[in-house]
Amino acid sequence: MEKTQTQKARVPALPDLFDFSGDSVRIRSARCGSCGTYFFPEYHAQHRSGCSREGVEPVLLSNSGKLASYTIEHYMCPPPFKTAENISPYGIGLVEFPEGIQVAGLIMESDLDALQIGQEVETITYALYRNEEGQDVVTWAFRVLK
Amino acid sequence: MREISIVGVGLHPWGKFKDKTFIEIGTVAIANALKDAGVEWKDVQAIFSGIYIYGGNAGHISGQYLESVFGETGIPVVNVYNACATGSAALRMAYNSIAAGEVDTALAVGVDISPEGFLSAKSDNPRQDRDVLRWRMAGMPNPVYWALECRKRMARYGTSDEDLARVKVVLSQYGAKNPNARYKKTYTLEEVMNSLMVCDPLRLLEVCATSDGAAAVILSASPGAVKKADRPVKIAATTMGSALYGDPTLRISALSAPAAAEAPLLSESYSASRQAYKKAGIGPEDIDVLELPDNSSWHYLQYLETCGFCGEGEAEKMLRDGQTQIGGRLAVCPSGGFSSFGEAIGAQAIWQVVEASNQLRGRCGERQVPDAKVAMAQTYGLMGNSGTTILKV
Ligand SMILES: [Zn+2]
Repeated sequence: MEKTQTQKARVPALPDLFDFSGDSVRIRSARCGSCGTYFFPEYHAQHRSGCSREGVEPVLLSNSGKLASYTIEHYMCPPPFKTAENISPYGIGLVEFPEGIQVAGLIMESDLDALQIGQEVETITYALYRNEEGQDVVTWAFRVLK
Repeated sequence: MREISIVGVGLHPWGKFKDKTFIEIGTVAIANALKDAGVEWKDVQAIFSGIYIYGGNAGHISGQYLESVFGETGIPVVNVYNACATGSAALRMAYNSIAAGEVDTALAVGVDISPEGFLSAKSDNPRQDRDVLRWRMAGMPNPVYWALECRKRMARYGTSDEDLARVKVVLSQYGAKNPNARYKKTYTLEEVMNSLMVCDPLRLLEVCATSDGAAAVILSASPGAVKKADRPVKIAATTMGSALYGDPTLRISALSAPAAAEAPLLSESYSASRQAYKKAGIGPEDIDVLELPDNSSWHYLQYLETCGFCGEGEAEKMLRDGQTQIGGRLAVCPSGGFSSFGEAIGAQAIWQVVEASNQLRGRCGERQVPDAKVAMAQTYGLMGNSGTTILKV
């Protein structure tokens, strides 16, 4: 029987958190049209006190932002964090997007010692491990823009 | 308002007790508190108990299990969970029950035996528990959150590696003299600065461990019980706070924070402490002893500002000048802090109150703060959740 659909090469580890269908990877946030609050993920609502909570729209954050803080984790995170191999030491960054929200995630950078607050970073995908169907299971991550 | 006093306190020492049950160590703490107060079990009219989340059904009704050990008497037994501020919630409810005139004497108790290995996600549903996201998508154990805030502080105020290490040096001196502490070794600056880097810029000796322990406090407004007590301590305020909208803290479990701050960092602790100052009718300048939640060296510094003991960026100077030590302007964590005890989620807030009250009762021997009259215990719990207790003699 002929295959009618090609299997996707990359699948997200959890759905509805980031979009990598286009040319660039974008984190999926949401914005309240009434109080202006951006929140992430889009299904964990946050509002200003007294807000009518009307007019919440999904928003794809810009592909790049500024490193607001970072750390280097020297010990491997326990499950349910799952990666193909031990990736420690690994970087974690808090990135400030121009929309007015900061989002945390892994930093994929070969020279972690060169990280600096204020650096421009872009959102990418990172393959945590390969599943039984041979697909890369991905999360969002950040990389310094050269 | 009735005057409410702590008439007895009890602990089970902090450590790792994997062969004991929460009921066994909770029983020790309660028995010690009863003995200290000289109160009979039959005179305890209400129990407010911290929920022990790793104890299954029993842990969720911990108060009933503990009551049955001493003998069921039909009194109200309420179990409460507010993460690391669980004990603050139990204490506050005990206080309010007495203040409302429902009862004259109540017990607040908190117990914890942490599971083996790392703490991790407790559910697998990210849509209702965002804790799942930080573990699965970003590999972020708790110290990552502390390190991210610490790095920001270092960039903003010039906090040095030496400042972070000095916190451990100071606290280890106290822990060494506290019989109930888990860690009793003292450290030099060099030893701390050469300890393993865990979560850059925080080293192994600059973050707290998870421990087991139990703490109990007996509160009373009964003139007989207060008269009988050995140096009773007045509760001037016991408050709780939640976060304020626009708080820039990246809170544990969360993966996002607002870019523009509209509220103070650690706003839940700001809220709880300001409520307490108002209720007690005093300010930070009146406090002699402060037990703060030193989950990491960053917390130690940040909490001095959050609770108003100094201005922004001034905590390092207080530390360097010795103002936060016994004999300085404000004795910070003369118990040895979480640094010497480790966290025991359900128990630690009550433990802090036990330590603070012991200082006011002049019971601390070599680490006694001279002439201590007012003490404050400050907690920090998950998801914008904090308690403050101010005690006076
Ligand atoms: Zn809104």
